[in-house]
Amino acid sequence: MLGKLLKHEFRATGRIMLPMMGALLAMALLANLSIRGLAGGLSDIPALRILFILTLVFFGVGIVAVSVMTLVVMVSRFYRNLLKSEGYLMFTLPVSVHGLIWSKLIVSLVWFFVTGLFILLIMGLTGLNMADTSLEMIISGFPSWSEVLQKLDELGIRGALGEVFSWATLAMLLGAIVSCLHFYGAMALGHMFSKNKVLLSVVFFVLISMAFNIMEMSFAFGIEDLFFDENSVREALHFASRISMYACLMQLIQGAVLYLATVLGLKRGLNLE
Amino acid sequence: MTILECRELSKRFGAVQALDSVNLNIEPGRVIGLLGPNGSGKTTLLKLANGLLTPTGGEILIDGEAPGKRSRSLVSYLPDKPYLAEWMKVRQLLDFFEDFYADFDRDRAMEMLLRLNIGEDMRIKEMSKGTREKTQLILVMSRKAKLYLLDEPIGGVDPATRDYILDTIIRNYNPEAAVVISTHLIADVEQVLDDVIFIDKGRIVLQSSVDEIRGEKNMSVDQYFREVFRC
Repeated sequence: MLGKLLKHEFRATGRIMLPMMGALLAMALLANLSIRGLAGGLSDIPALRILFILTLVFFGVGIVAVSVMTLVVMVSRFYRNLLKSEGYLMFTLPVSVHGLIWSKLIVSLVWFFVTGLFILLIMGLTGLNMADTSLEMIISGFPSWSEVLQKLDELGIRGALGEVFSWATLAMLLGAIVSCLHFYGAMALGHMFSKNKVLLSVVFFVLISMAFNIMEMSFAFGIEDLFFDENSVREALHFASRISMYACLMQLIQGAVLYLATVLGLKRGLNLE
Repeated sequence: MTILECRELSKRFGAVQALDSVNLNIEPGRVIGLLGPNGSGKTTLLKLANGLLTPTGGEILIDGEAPGKRSRSLVSYLPDKPYLAEWMKVRQLLDFFEDFYADFDRDRAMEMLLRLNIGEDMRIKEMSKGTREKTQLILVMSRKAKLYLLDEPIGGVDPATRDYILDTIIRNYNPEAAVVISTHLIADVEQVLDDVIFIDKGRIVLQSSVDEIRGEKNMSVDQYFREVFRC
């Protein structure tokens, strides 16, 4: 059933996400033309110059807006689909509450990843052919993968860097899950009450943030002995690796607490209006 | 075998006792009217049967089990408000119901929708209130469920739509299933009921067959309801 839930989640979110990305792609093309115009002779015409600059400003705003909107769409999807009238349909499906939460979570993570990758790609696209730079020139400017590995081996940090990268990637993934669950948990707890549900959701969000901040600060004080004395790259990487490991542990604990709060709110205390 | 059973079922919302020690048995093959004034506990009872609320006392069983994943595959529920996503097209809703309910009969749903000129490409937000209610009912009644729980299916629609809705319920329900129709518009539903349950202030006041009321009291269900609930 999770597969079916995911299918319908992608359908519901894709109808907003895809046009939004399409609009950003169109803005990227216009921004690319503007950069070329500014670099070329057209920038001498004042009206065109203003138009090009405005296009670039709008493109920058567009990137920020799409990043923010991705989070807004995912959070509002949870709210509208589970906590408002659509909840009557979703909570009477022969699926578990866990399935409902995971479907929302997985789809949100996929869209976060896709949006991030998409923004990086279109930023690259915008700069393409700028000031006579071609894709081939950009690629040829980078060292090959084997060259990179060889250099890392020479420095003796290949293993340590790989460890940092692995832990940091896991910490980022868990961080994204915790961010979603932070909203889900706060909303689920807020909707256990019969009145002021949205206000209480905000209150729970703030209280959870405060509790987690205190928890993180306690951990930070406990790891002062980890600071390295020698100013070596290997020591720095080792430190970064340990910090990422602690971040993962912290997020696992926070994620578990928030997941249980979400399940509790949806399973035991929900009262749809 | 009893399809819906309540044992000392209670539900409290803060200071309000919505249901108070309700004992109830509903058998398959009957059309039951859950009748009571506004705020009597009808919707709370149906929400509890669907697992949308948790009892504060007693228990409610569907086919011998507490509401959960299995019971939701047996129960076809129509809430008392619009609950379909407005952006969805009829085709997407049919896909949705077909994906999640093994007992959903898409052909039957399509046939009823076409009879009402509701096309597959029509979106919920493009429909009038009456058409939305009919679409919801068609989706719910196109399942071969064991228990249909219909909360105010005829509330807020014109008399012609009421007739259509009642006709759709009677012509499409699984004869081996029980149908519970919650309403306070008794005169309109009386003709289709086998049994009635009167509920007031969270308590069951009466559970009887329609024939018993007509034979013993020499009144219609509507007349008897007015007598019982006289202010």
